[in-house]
Amino acid sequence: MPIISEHVHVERKPKLGGGGPGKIPHKRGYGGGDDGDHDRSKDFSSRKERLRRYRIGILLCIISVSTLFICLTLAYVFRQNLGTWDPIHRQWIRDWRALTLPYRQLWINTLILLLSSFTLEMARRKMAHQAEFAALGIVPIKGRAEVPWLGLTVLLGFGFLAGQVVVWNGFRSQGLFLHNNPSSSFFFILTGMHAIHLTGGLLALLYAAGGRLLKLRFDSQILAVDATASYWHFMGGLWLYIFGLLYFLKG
Amino acid sequence: MLKRFPSAATTPSKLLLRRYIFTSDHKMIGIQYFFLSLAAVLVGTWLSLLMRIHLVWPHGRIPLVGEIKPENYLGLLTMHGTLMVFFVLSTVPQNGFGTYFLPLQLGASEMAFPRLNMAGFWTALASFFVLLAAFFVPGGASIAGWTQYAPLSAIRAAGPGQGIGTDLWLVSIGLFCLSSVMSAINFVTTTVKQRTPGMRWMRMPLPCWSWFVTAILSLLAFSVLLAALILLLLDRNAGTNFFVPAGLIVSGQAVNHSGGSPLLWQHLFWFFGHPEVYIAILPAMGITSHLLSVFSRKPVFGYRAMVGATIAIGALGFMVWGHHMFVSGMNPYEGFAFSTLTTAIAVPSAIKVFNWLGTIYGGKLQFSTPMLFSIGFVSLFIAGGLTGPFLAQPSLDMYLHDTYFVVAHFHLIMAMAGIFAVFSATYFWFPKMFGRMMSERLGAIHFWFTLAGAYAIFMPMHLLGVAGHPRRYSELTGVQYVAAMAPLQKFITFAAVITICGQLVFLFNLFWSMFRGRRAEANPWVCTTLEWTLPSPTPAAGFAGRVPVVNRGPYEYSVPGSTADFVAQDAPATQEG
Ligand code: HEM
Ligand SMILES: [Cu+2]
Repeated sequence: MPIISEHVHVERKPKLGGGGPGKIPHKRGYGGGDDGDHDRSKDFSSRKERLRRYRIGILLCIISVSTLFICLTLAYVFRQNLGTWDPIHRQWIRDWRALTLPYRQLWINTLILLLSSFTLEMARRKMAHQAEFAALGIVPIKGRAEVPWLGLTVLLGFGFLAGQVVVWNGFRSQGLFLHNNPSSSFFFILTGMHAIHLTGGLLALLYAAGGRLLKLRFDSQILAVDATASYWHFMGGLWLYIFGLLYFLKG
Repeated sequence: MLKRFPSAATTPSKLLLRRYIFTSDHKMIGIQYFFLSLAAVLVGTWLSLLMRIHLVWPHGRIPLVGEIKPENYLGLLTMHGTLMVFFVLSTVPQNGFGTYFLPLQLGASEMAFPRLNMAGFWTALASFFVLLAAFFVPGGASIAGWTQYAPLSAIRAAGPGQGIGTDLWLVSIGLFCLSSVMSAINFVTTTVKQRTPGMRWMRMPLPCWSWFVTAILSLLAFSVLLAALILLLLDRNAGTNFFVPAGLIVSGQAVNHSGGSPLLWQHLFWFFGHPEVYIAILPAMGITSHLLSVFSRKPVFGYRAMVGATIAIGALGFMVWGHHMFVSGMNPYEGFAFSTLTTAIAVPSAIKVFNWLGTIYGGKLQFSTPMLFSIGFVSLFIAGGLTGPFLAQPSLDMYLHDTYFVVAHFHLIMAMAGIFAVFSATYFWFPKMFGRMMSERLGAIHFWFTLAGAYAIFMPMHLLGVAGHPRRYSELTGVQYVAAMAPLQKFITFAAVITICGQLVFLFNLFWSMFRGRRAEANPWVCTTLEWTLPSPTPAAGFAGRVPVVNRGPYEYSVPGSTADFVAQDAPATQEG
């Protein structure tokens, strides 16, 4: 965008919680922050560059996590159809016992997670707008009421995790643990691995939301939110996939 | 058009700790990986020495170590394989040299995510220490081999080392998976985003291509392994049933597992394991292609074919894992499919060999040490590769599986060829990394010694295998037909001891040259690629705000009409260029 790149002088004015979208010299050692090529970093377009780089990184991360879950799925299908040889009756018996899922709670969790995807998307768009205005030197009016989309997302994220804990506790009160049956093992493994990965995203969001406290550059804040957003949406999709797997391949 | 930006990032940190240890500088991290692998290879080699001695004198007492009991032998075996496969062959060609030279060859001054790079190294280091810790816990190291086949690996009572030792193994390799995924993300992003203007895909030096393809393989393969490791850890510690069938009696006790399948582990493991052997060898292939061209003063023969073969090997590598499982009772049709695909992978491998020979054919060969080791690589790759198609026939593999024939195959093609490429890369890039030259005379001695040693150790193993000597046994003295092979085993052990001692020449050369070697000029080997446009050793700031512009391919040696016998990649464009 040519207009933006002409307003180079605004970059020095501190605004929006930390330094404006310009580039701040690395504080630690050479090699610096996670933005590689120093040569082009002073360029105004460097934010876009960094953004693209982070998006590729996140895409690769998503591919890696998908591979992990594809493997777990294969193991799930393989294990479901595997039997145990009963030497007394001389026959194969299938030891897989289908689970009855607590649908009500699971649907609530699903809704919470999808809603959080929506709020995060709102947060991302709002920040992108702010960045563009900031580049034009327009500071948002102080004290105007705004929806704290990012905070909401974090809350919803914790809500989802709490909901999952409720589901796990439900199973445990029925005496179903990780080791009882392959079906319960897989239930805990799939949902647990998803929760662990989601927690990673949640930490990234907390980091971005605490930007003001951490004296994060607005720039880095947008970046964190943008990159995490794709990951977060993926986590939503992954959850739907896991839910579908547990539902359609109950066994 | 291209502005020069003075950058604050170009001033090196004054804190030594930040500069050399807790650094996110890709050059320093590359060197850190290099020394991590050096430590791993020293330990791994020491273990192999103990194994070789034990095989020949099962009850001999070794100074400082004492007598090696059968279970200790298996522990040594496991740790040797794990150290060498993960911490040497998957670490130094990719993460060591790649972290250092990928950005420089692409004309960038950093990786895409420097801090992720740093996190990857520290995770790998933690993983290394967790692995070694297994030697010091009750029961000692795991005895289940680098492949950790279930049920042996899944049952704590299965032997000494199958308790905490195996848990540590699993945790260590889990960390290694995380580290590899982190560095793979960095490699791919760097290659996609950090290429300097003009560095088109088809102008990338071949090492960059192989680092890129290897990173994609790592990204996928290590994610698979991580899934398998998690399931195995749960089987061992949480009472789940994935890999252990019902009705097993281990160490006199009925096992409290049922319904699992050891085959599930084998499938998951080899779906990782076969790509893993290419993760180990692809960077070595890229380095070799590069060096053969440099020291023949000729362009790489068939650059496009080389790139194509690298990609084809990467893709086919994911479809052949079943060739490690022919004797697992798989359906013969399945075996046939895996056999066919495996034979197919020999085609791109053969293309590479053909192109290497084509590259040196008719060149002005300069037999510097890196060149010698590169030729050695080709020789060993052929020698080890020829046995692959034999093993790929299920009917032959029925007999050869788990014999010394397989040991010979993979040591020649993976271990020795891989190490030769690491040596050649070390001699080649040493001036850029440390600012001094390694001794050529010592290098040549080291080469001939090691080449002779590699063949002396591993060629006879083919005979052992054909004669039916199984692998992974600590002692077979009571078995008559095996006892007849004792003289050959003795010969191998002598060869191994001598060859290993010969490596001291390399260690001496390495450390002596680091401090005392002749100072290197910027481009001692007169190469075309961008890392050589920088002074030696590489300044901390890399290209320091300069943006190199690439106008030509990476292998313009002996270009007709040019005054020098090479044209650097960033030389100004000519009419045709
Ligand atoms: C020319 C193409 C190749 C073919 C057809 C081939 C075929 C095979 C087959 C069939 C086996 C299984 C033997 C058995 O366990 O009974 C095997 C084992 C092995 N191969 Fe290859 N191979 C090839 C190239 C390579 C390369 C390039 C590497 C590594 C750089 C490699 C490394 C290994 C290793 C490490 C094993 C043994 C793993 C173990 O059981 O511990 N091979 N190969
Ligand atoms: Cu294989």
